Amino acid sequence: MTTTLDGTKPRTIPSGRSGFPQLVRSEWTKLRSVRSTWICLFLIFFLTVLFAWIFPAAIASHWTTGKASDRLNFDPVSTTQIGVIFSQLVVGVFGALAITSEYSTGSIRTTLAAIPRRSTLIAAKSFIVFVLVFIVSEITAFIAFFVGSAVLKSYGGKELPANSTLLDQLRSPHAPVASISQHGVAIAIFRGGLYLALIALIALAIGLLLRHSAGAISVIVGLVFVVPLLIQALPNSISKPIQPKLPSNLGAAMSSTRARVTDFGGSLLHPWPAALLLAVYAAVLLGLGIWAFVRRDA
Amino acid sequence: MIEARSLSKTYGSTKAVDDLSFDVDSGVVTGFLGPNGAGKSTTLRMILGLDRPTSGTVTIDGKSFRDLRWPLREVGALLEAKAVHPGRSARNHLLSLAQTNAISPKRVDEVLDIVGLSAVAKRKVGKFSLGMSQRLGIAGALLGDPGVLLFDEPINGLDPEGILWVRTLLRSLADDGRTIFFSSHLMSEMAQTATNLVVIGRGQLIADTSVDDFIASNTEATVLVRSPQAGELASALAAAGGLTQDQPDGSMLVTKLDATTIGDLALRAGAAIHELTPQSASLEDVFMELTADSAEFHAGNQAT
Repeated sequence: MTTTLDGTKPRTIPSGRSGFPQLVRSEWTKLRSVRSTWICLFLIFFLTVLFAWIFPAAIASHWTTGKASDRLNFDPVSTTQIGVIFSQLVVGVFGALAITSEYSTGSIRTTLAAIPRRSTLIAAKSFIVFVLVFIVSEITAFIAFFVGSAVLKSYGGKELPANSTLLDQLRSPHAPVASISQHGVAIAIFRGGLYLALIALIALAIGLLLRHSAGAISVIVGLVFVVPLLIQALPNSISKPIQPKLPSNLGAAMSSTRARVTDFGGSLLHPWPAALLLAVYAAVLLGLGIWAFVRRDA
Repeated sequence: MIEARSLSKTYGSTKAVDDLSFDVDSGVVTGFLGPNGAGKSTTLRMILGLDRPTSGTVTIDGKSFRDLRWPLREVGALLEAKAVHPGRSARNHLLSLAQTNAISPKRVDEVLDIVGLSAVAKRKVGKFSLGMSQRLGIAGALLGDPGVLLFDEPINGLDPEGILWVRTLLRSLADDGRTIFFSSHLMSEMAQTATNLVVIGRGQLIADTSVDDFIASNTEATVLVRSPQAGELASALAAAGGLTQDQPDGSMLVTKLDATTIGDLALRAGAAIHELTPQSASLEDVFMELTADSAEFHAGNQAT
């Protein structure tokens, strides 16, 4: 037995109390020390960039033979961010696992026996998950933009003048390309990264409410892929006001440089209101999750 | 000092803990004894604020666990050894716990050393045996060098060497003046390690006393007597107020009379004595007797 177990010496307990900074450090250690974190983050990058390479090529190669509406709907920025449709699922898994893995392994009780500040714990977890996904998503979004734009250029795509209209885009002989210096482009890409970070928070909140990995992931897949289809099947009068407010369409709106018409025939919200609404979803769900977490037995 | 006052916990219609009050004193090892399903783990979870009591309170040095400023530096706990992420290394697991209470990484290495896991510190805990996981859990409890330590079934899965190590550790921690509260369903463990006892059955308090008092006050002195004139001796003993119980091997167990009295009575009755042995009941016997009615799950009474 070493001297470190000498309880006769007065134990030094620091002033203040354990709180957010300590928990952020702990949560970062937890996240970085499991392999699933790095697999998820790599997949976010890989899927987004992969589709930024494939999808613009598909569009550009059928530009003149395709439908006029496709050309009207074409957005040279969001076209490069199309992989987000897939990577958002990885983000969802990552966000949900951040809390549900604590339930599946039982480690939530080990954690809470060390630090019983439940709302602070979730705040710290949310903070770390948000920051990590935000950093990776932003880097990914910009790389995807440059990859996708390079592909469009390789098909002869050119930047349209600043004062051009949708009609100019319709008449353009090649799929046009956006430049990062163009008004609204960099910020649209930035919002695309922000979208994924907010999706991660929504997933975390769903995980916190369901406390079950498979359940939470199913709900997230349903929210992103199934709910839009169900809403589409409803009468127009009901579906039209709902559609633009679905998370996936908020994502499309956020990475767009302008409000535009979607395939569903409903229009998207303007980018910043879309971002704000998604942030409200995340905040409300997290609030609910914390409310339940504080009251439930662990 | 842990004080439980009228602690109750109901899950649906099941009363897991029922109006439980007890004290756990500093500087001694207090055993928390009860059959499986008696409510030990639920009680420990309530002490740690994991489960909210349906009614009643439990405090540690006068404060509720949730109100402690640096919980891990004041209370260390081992609840479920396997309640860790299997993909995380032992060191990272402990580091993540240490950081919640601003405990230095140096201390993580120290506790790994104390529990003898330094060599496997970088291994994933999913690959650990139950015994290694128990050691890891104990390391986690020691991280904050706390004054109060709670262990739920700490010797589960340990080999004899490990069990001895835990016993020595518990006693040395108590000798430092710490409050030690550990649960077990194994009576033999309590007799060897604990000084005080809190015994529960079906969520209710059965005893809150010292191990010695517990045995003394719950056992009747019994004497094993073997005599070729058992019949005559039995009636002589009965006449003197003794109770006899014949054993299958021809001996008999006598209560209400001590060995000296039995010897004297035998001499007067002219009965030869071949054996006269006072029986000391073990904690195990006492416990079995006390909790026989309160065990949540019986194994069935068929003879085997």
